[in-house]
Amino acid sequence: MTKIFHEIRDPIHTFIKIHSDEREIIKSEPFQRLRYIHQLAMTYLVYPGATHRRFEHSLGVMELADRVFNVVTNPYNVNDRIKEYIPKESYTLEYWRRVLRIAALCHDMGHLPFSHAAEKELLPNRWNHEKLTREIILCDQMKEIWRKLTPAIEPLHIVKLALGPKEASDLNFDTWETLLSDIIVGDGFGVDRIDYLLRDSYHIGVAYGKFDHYRLIDTLRIIVTDSVNDHDEKDKEYKCLGVEEGGFLSAEALLLARYFMFSQVYFHHVRRIYDIHLKDFLKLWLPDGKYPTSVNKHLAYTDNEILVGLKECSLNVNSKSYGYAKKILNRAHFKLIYQRNHSDYSVNPEAAEKIYEALQKEFGYDKVRIDSYSQKEGSLDFPVLMKNGEVESSMILSQNLNNIPVVKVNFIFADSDIKDKAEKWIDDNKREIIKLEKESDDGAS
Amino acid sequence: MERLKKVSIILQLINNLKDNNSKCGETHIQKAMYFLQALKKVPTDFDFILYKHGPFSFDLRDELTSMRADQLLEIHANIYHSGLSLLPTESGKELIKHFPKTLEKFEKQIDFVAENCIGNKGAAKLERISTALFLTLRSDKAKKEIMEELVVLKPHISKEKAVEAVEFIEKITLQAQNIN
Repeated sequence: MTKIFHEIRDPIHTFIKIHSDEREIIKSEPFQRLRYIHQLAMTYLVYPGATHRRFEHSLGVMELADRVFNVVTNPYNVNDRIKEYIPKESYTLEYWRRVLRIAALCHDMGHLPFSHAAEKELLPNRWNHEKLTREIILCDQMKEIWRKLTPAIEPLHIVKLALGPKEASDLNFDTWETLLSDIIVGDGFGVDRIDYLLRDSYHIGVAYGKFDHYRLIDTLRIIVTDSVNDHDEKDKEYKCLGVEEGGFLSAEALLLARYFMFSQVYFHHVRRIYDIHLKDFLKLWLPDGKYPTSVNKHLAYTDNEILVGLKECSLNVNSKSYGYAKKILNRAHFKLIYQRNHSDYSVNPEAAEKIYEALQKEFGYDKVRIDSYSQKEGSLDFPVLMKNGEVESSMILSQNLNNIPVVKVNFIFADSDIKDKAEKWIDDNKREIIKLEKESDDGAS
Repeated sequence: MERLKKVSIILQLINNLKDNNSKCGETHIQKAMYFLQALKKVPTDFDFILYKHGPFSFDLRDELTSMRADQLLEIHANIYHSGLSLLPTESGKELIKHFPKTLEKFEKQIDFVAENCIGNKGAAKLERISTALFLTLRSDKAKKEIMEELVVLKPHISKEKAVEAVEFIEKITLQAQNIN
């Protein structure tokens, strides 16, 4: 008898189950390309174990999405207020399970080589990897696969669930679609996040990213809450993913794990300067300094092509990107000379930017680089279903969540030949540079 | 607009919202900033999309988070009204003092929005009126068509409430034009 379900071994989830139909997606060119995109860009130059790829992460996200779907649609976990939002017919429910799994599988197909490194500056305005993912899901090659599935899948349903309302803001989402997209890309408990934290920490060899995801997933629920700020009416309902009281500590652990991974791994300063050098290299190496956005051309670029380019340029002193290629391949990266600190940003929240501008004037544009990032999400507020049936805000229940710092980094790097001089120069001039002047009559500050 | 000028406008807006009995949760701040930008044309350049509960700006959400990182804003979790407030810190109040010209320039607009558009309105009402404004500004459709679109987009909004929301926008737009 022909097998319908197949298993792939995975170090994080033990087995990932796939349906025969889904193998056609995995075999497709856009999905196979993910075997050659490092999940964490050049992090392997700092943490040698970080050589895992988007391919296995995407499989993991599919596996977890299915597990969450099972939990949140289990009749024992669905109360009367939620019932109306969940499809009643088993056929419809199974259709959406299929869409969810496929969307999870495809959610990263638009990633550029080396994942997030330099995405913003190397794509045309208003393009990002999510938009490329959408283009791929809707391309002829993939449409043919969606058409042949039984039942056939509407491609825009995959787009909605893979991107969510934020990245597909031109599409109208109903409550059910919003909830399903939250399972994959939601800020709180999206399985994209769950998988990357577990997988990255496993490969890197750090324990920060680990948490009890089994318990967390078992206690996830679709929760309906009433608007709490209404004075004039009580008719507003919010539907979102939340957690049962019993899983609250696991949810806290996930959010703490994320904070630790961001501050200790993803924003390790050496990892970040390699991203910057790679971006500098690519600006000179790519035709017109940008990645193409047509699907065929996009699929032709993986980390492999870039690594070959780096090697070739590093062997050719006449290449215009020779210097940046050498910096990466010879570990001759710029050194950290300044980082954000409380005493400076309390004087001027833009202290790092001011110091960077002054350094550029003093030492030249090519000698210094800045890296700035601030966490991209709101508060860590999510609903918690208490044992008595009441719904509480996580922020009311937990002092820990209230105190998890927002990740914000500003690093300034300099070429090693000016490092000491630049550091001394900062010490001597910083106070004057970061002074925040009162706005003058013409509005300048 | 430079970031710190924009930040000082956000901080002043929150102060004014508080004076007008708003709990200063993120929903109120989002909707207030949308009115300030879309109705009163204050050039803060946040990109608003029609999201789950009406106009929402991810740029603004990220800026509010960044302001928390800079210790200009802080979260107050209030167990009595079960809500979260985002309020200026002492550093935030200090920062405002560096931008008197910017704040003077937009003072009337900020006052108008805090008092007339937001105040202590509930989240449901804010969703309706801000969505009505969004739909009104994105096309030149007639009032009736806007009402119909609002009900289609937000099926939980009744026809009566949609009429009320569109009429509120019509009235407030006229008022806004008179106070510039």
